[in-house]
Amino acid sequence: MTETGIALVVDDSRVNRLVLTRQLTGLGLEVLEAENGAEGLEVLRAHGDAIDIVLLDVIMPELDGYETLAAMKADEAIRHLPVLIVSGVEELDSVVRCIELGATDYLTKPINPRILQARLNASLAAKRLRDLELEYLEQQRIMTSTIERQKTELSRFLSPQIAQLISSSEGETMLAGHRRQVTVCFCDLRGFTTFAEGADPEEMLGVLGEYHRMMGDAIIEHGGTLEHFAGDGVMIFFNDPIAQEDHVERAVRMAVSMRERFGPLSAGWRKRGYELGFGVGIAVGYATLGRIGFEGRYDYGAIGNVTILASRLSSQAAADQILVSQMVVGMLEDVIEVESVGELTIKGLSRPVSASNVLGLKTRVPS
Amino acid sequence: MSEPDTPTLDTAVLDELSASVDGDRTFVIELIEAYLADGAIHVAAIDAARATDDAEAMVRPAHTLKSSSATVGAARLAATSRELEMAGRSGSLSGAGQAAAARVASEWNATTDALRAWIADGESA
Repeated sequence: MTETGIALVVDDSRVNRLVLTRQLTGLGLEVLEAENGAEGLEVLRAHGDAIDIVLLDVIMPELDGYETLAAMKADEAIRHLPVLIVSGVEELDSVVRCIELGATDYLTKPINPRILQARLNASLAAKRLRDLELEYLEQQRIMTSTIERQKTELSRFLSPQIAQLISSSEGETMLAGHRRQVTVCFCDLRGFTTFAEGADPEEMLGVLGEYHRMMGDAIIEHGGTLEHFAGDGVMIFFNDPIAQEDHVERAVRMAVSMRERFGPLSAGWRKRGYELGFGVGIAVGYATLGRIGFEGRYDYGAIGNVTILASRLSSQAAADQILVSQMVVGMLEDVIEVESVGELTIKGLSRPVSASNVLGLKTRVPS
Repeated sequence: MSEPDTPTLDTAVLDELSASVDGDRTFVIELIEAYLADGAIHVAAIDAARATDDAEAMVRPAHTLKSSSATVGAARLAATSRELEMAGRSGSLSGAGQAAAARVASEWNATTDALRAWIADGESA
């Protein structure tokens, strides 16, 4: 087999350089020569990238083989280059020292061309493997940074939990659809339709922007999964895709926190002449969650009676009301102060449901 | 001490060398010429080290001459320069070292003659 590549021969004896160069050229390599270690290092530092293997004599003036090897190993750019030590048969002790210093292998003089070829093949194969590995690592690095960038972008467009889910190993099964108990929270603005009719588009977008920012902060603080924004309507669910043992409580705490933050916002709007109120509906129950939509546009959504119930509660809520289903009340007895608003007839549900308005949180510090 | 029967020129080494470069005789002759040119310098350096009894100055020329002599099959000179290299490393040229150094000049001349004869033999063959 004929090798290709560039070899550097470092030997102070011209006769030995001539022989080695000739034999290496005969094997298909290009050869650079240096008369001593210092010169060899200079060549390596200038052309290290292009050189595939170094054949190094041990005893040389200026910089000997040991010093040359040590200098190579201390230099990040050339330390990986394979080094074959070329030595006399009576110098095997020095060969051992060179191997300890990081030389790849050795050849004894006079050089047997078959052994030279075998040692070259082994060293060059190892180097090619290493070069391939580096190339692969570089490709992987590029790929990883691309994926990281995509994940960052994705998390801007999607709820962070959903962005994370898509990138996770369980993503495929979760997206395909699963059933789970969730707490669903709907919020919207009372008086928004009237406001939207009368306001300038810029003004309306400004108000919505303030409202969404406030909502967004509260959602993130409480770990909610934002399903969608639709104008003033916002749907958030809890306990999916990330499991949350306290999902019902989280939802209610978030709603209470939003209502508190809404006060100063609406006061500012009122000064500008807009009368807007904040209403919330919360229900807990089982839903089917996963990818909803069609090829080209999917959303991660929750489907079930719980969604419908939360949505209807929200639309029945008066300004500043947080209407919760009976089950929520039952589950959070110790946490919330409520007042019953009686039984509500809900479109799409056959029986009326009893609902309560959350007045506030009991002064218990959650453990 | 080099063995008394160590030949001045081991032609088998030159034959092997030729074979290793696919019988490229021009190359082998070029190599011998390089050896003769550089060898003369090493021999002179060895002689200077002997004259000044400088063991340290003996090491390098002796080493290089040993190594290149072995390459071209100059067996006796390789053995003598090996002795000289070791004597130089030991730090003293007394005794065996001086004796070996004294032999280098005549062995060098014999080696030169033998190599020239080898080249001439090839030309006439």
